[in-house]
Amino acid sequence: MPFHQHAFLKFFDLESRCFMPTKYRKMTTGLICALLLLPIFAGLVGTLLPAFHYFPPLGETEFSFTPWQNLFSNTEFFASLKLTLITGILAPIMALWLALALLAWGYEKPFFRPIENLLAPILAIPHAAIAIGLVFLLSPSGWLVRLFSPWLTGFERPPNWISVQDPYGLSLIFALVIKEMPYLLFVMLASMKSIQARDSLQACQSLGYGRFTAWRKVLIPQLYPLIRLPLFIVISFSLTVVDLALIIGPNTPSTLAVTLFRWFNDPDLTMRFNASAGAISLMLIIIVVLAGWELSHRLLAKLTRAERSNGKRRGLSDHLLSIGTILACFSLLIGLLALVILPIWSLTKRWRFPDVFPASWTWDNLERAAPLLMELTNNTLLIALVSTLLASIISLAMLEIKRVSHGSSQPSSHAFDWLIYVPILLPQIGFLFGLHVLLIHLNLNGDLIAVMMLHFLYALPYVYLTLKNPYLAYHQAYLEQANRLRPCVWRNYLTVKLAMLKPALFTAFAIGFSVSVAQYLPTLIAGEGRYSTLTTEAVTRAASGDRKQVGSMALLQTLFPIFVFWLALVVPPRWTKWRLAFKSLFIRTTRA
Amino acid sequence: MLSVNQFSLTLGQQPLIQDLSFQIQPGEVLSIMGPSGIGKSSLLHFLSGTLNSSLNASGQVFLDKQTLQDRPTNKRKVGLLQQMPLLFPHMSIIENLLFAIPAHIPHRTRQQKAQQALEKLGIPDKANALPSELSGGQQARVALLRTLLAEPDYLLLDEPFSKLDPALRRDVRAFVLEQIRQSNIPALLVTHDPEDAKAMQGPCLDLKPFKMKN
Repeated sequence: MPFHQHAFLKFFDLESRCFMPTKYRKMTTGLICALLLLPIFAGLVGTLLPAFHYFPPLGETEFSFTPWQNLFSNTEFFASLKLTLITGILAPIMALWLALALLAWGYEKPFFRPIENLLAPILAIPHAAIAIGLVFLLSPSGWLVRLFSPWLTGFERPPNWISVQDPYGLSLIFALVIKEMPYLLFVMLASMKSIQARDSLQACQSLGYGRFTAWRKVLIPQLYPLIRLPLFIVISFSLTVVDLALIIGPNTPSTLAVTLFRWFNDPDLTMRFNASAGAISLMLIIIVVLAGWELSHRLLAKLTRAERSNGKRRGLSDHLLSIGTILACFSLLIGLLALVILPIWSLTKRWRFPDVFPASWTWDNLERAAPLLMELTNNTLLIALVSTLLASIISLAMLEIKRVSHGSSQPSSHAFDWLIYVPILLPQIGFLFGLHVLLIHLNLNGDLIAVMMLHFLYALPYVYLTLKNPYLAYHQAYLEQANRLRPCVWRNYLTVKLAMLKPALFTAFAIGFSVSVAQYLPTLIAGEGRYSTLTTEAVTRAASGDRKQVGSMALLQTLFPIFVFWLALVVPPRWTKWRLAFKSLFIRTTRA
Repeated sequence: MLSVNQFSLTLGQQPLIQDLSFQIQPGEVLSIMGPSGIGKSSLLHFLSGTLNSSLNASGQVFLDKQTLQDRPTNKRKVGLLQQMPLLFPHMSIIENLLFAIPAHIPHRTRQQKAQQALEKLGIPDKANALPSELSGGQQARVALLRTLLAEPDYLLLDEPFSKLDPALRRDVRAFVLEQIRQSNIPALLVTHDPEDAKAMQGPCLDLKPFKMKN
């Protein structure tokens, strides 16, 4: 057997129970961790050094504090910072409130099941597409005003409002809430079993507590520690998001992440120093906000502690949950309308202002844009498929190592479970521009490989975390029996173990795929605009006002992840039946 | 003939089994009984080459004249039948059977062998059914035939009847014994149930909790 094949066998411990040497396990874990951490580390250093005026490409090799002095004397920085803090703190609070309210209202009710099943595909929709739909819906000439004009509002022409990209960032907050609420709801539902919510709820209700009161006093305090990490991810995302803010956020001043993005791309290269210092301060701000969040949670918990056991079966703050439920349903409805409007615009020929629907429809928009759309679709799919496939293989390798070392409590594999969160928690703006410098050094800037590797970096955590529980719960006796019956360990691993894990593999792949499709900054920075995807192009053109074209792009951008999710839902349970039916058909025709 | 010589098993400092020796003739089923935790399953793992490294075992195993204890599992040609039938849920019955038939056998013979197994089971019409469509008793029989189709040199049975309906057990036991006799290989059964041991019509070893000799 050639050496590499032998080594691979040992990586995967396919000869059941005969453990592969620790050397390989440690080596693989180390290699993958390095693969994960190296670009992040390089990116951070590449941002940190210019923040202190050290940037050899521009001939600056002496450290100084000038970037910070410039930053702090820049009024735009403070204006942007204020907006970032408003949007980045209010959006997670709102999203948490609405998600909790919706859950408290609907949990275990029959009508809630379909909503639960819909959550995963909703999460797959790229946020840029939702933001574009919201702009189409909420802007002064948008669908919402049209629906009520002129019969209610009396408008014959679009009003003079600033309802999207408003200077306070309210529309951005709204978009963030619509994006984050389903995610939090999804995470909460997944944690309901481990806090035995049903039993607690029944116990409370038999004591005469109202539904909302029981949630407030008993369930939410138990739930919070379980969703702390996902909440931190949401907060970090809200504080640093670029693409959403470009589409629907305020401009002049814009949020800090967008301002930094503009500075990094400024033709005046010395702006990079300011931008780097700003990126470092944005990362510090995240830490401060997270600490403040945790502190306020502790404070709130302390203040409400006595109230929880005062024996009152109802409370005034129950109404917070009732109001939240109404707002949540309203937001979901708006989100849905924002998606419906995308295909309408892409098929519109003529749509004058107060009309509710276009006066005439056409395929021309799509046809005219077809060459461009084809190219964008090609890039998008190629990047997403390759990076997700790689992420799936690496996840399987890491999980197999974790399974084998289970019980032996190897710190390296536990460390990986934490490291995997780093790419999600770290703001993209903080290290991607630093990483770009490394890519230039490696001559990989504007290379498709670089784009795919960055997408891999972001798909990997989601694929790994989705696959983790089903993979570790797999009943290994099946594979062991297979190896006794047929001595082909590799084939058995593929045709028995992985084949039985099909549902989890498909779902993990769909999630990784949708994460890759949604990436904006990584594609833009690593690809240097040479490789545009549906997302980068849609975000770039969102401001152009060509709703027909932007709508088509956003529509395609939405369709692919939903299609892949639909496949992941439909195919695995039917796969075997279809395979057998196909086989018997084939045999019958050859016999005849 | 499968022979075990002076098998001893210790968990840490505590001896579980000491100096156990026995021989099993081809076509014969030796039953091993005893309370749980006494090391019955570990004996099976020792014989199949999958013993947990936390246990210490010594002794020799011979298959006819060859020593087995130093060979890795996949070089032993051992068949193991457990409580769960472990039929692959994503393969049809005939695919499960074909999975076990060695690859060096020509294609047509493989198909015939699988078909014969289905006839033996009395379910020739269920070739393309999925395991979940069979009853528990049928699944247990398919699992046995699948194990035997891999042409093992010896067979280990780890309480294969305990999950079955009491009414079904008698039929499945008889079926198992008949098939083992037909294949003419030595078999070792580990069980809690004296009825199982009796039905196998072979010798029976009763393991007693080990006491330190003073």
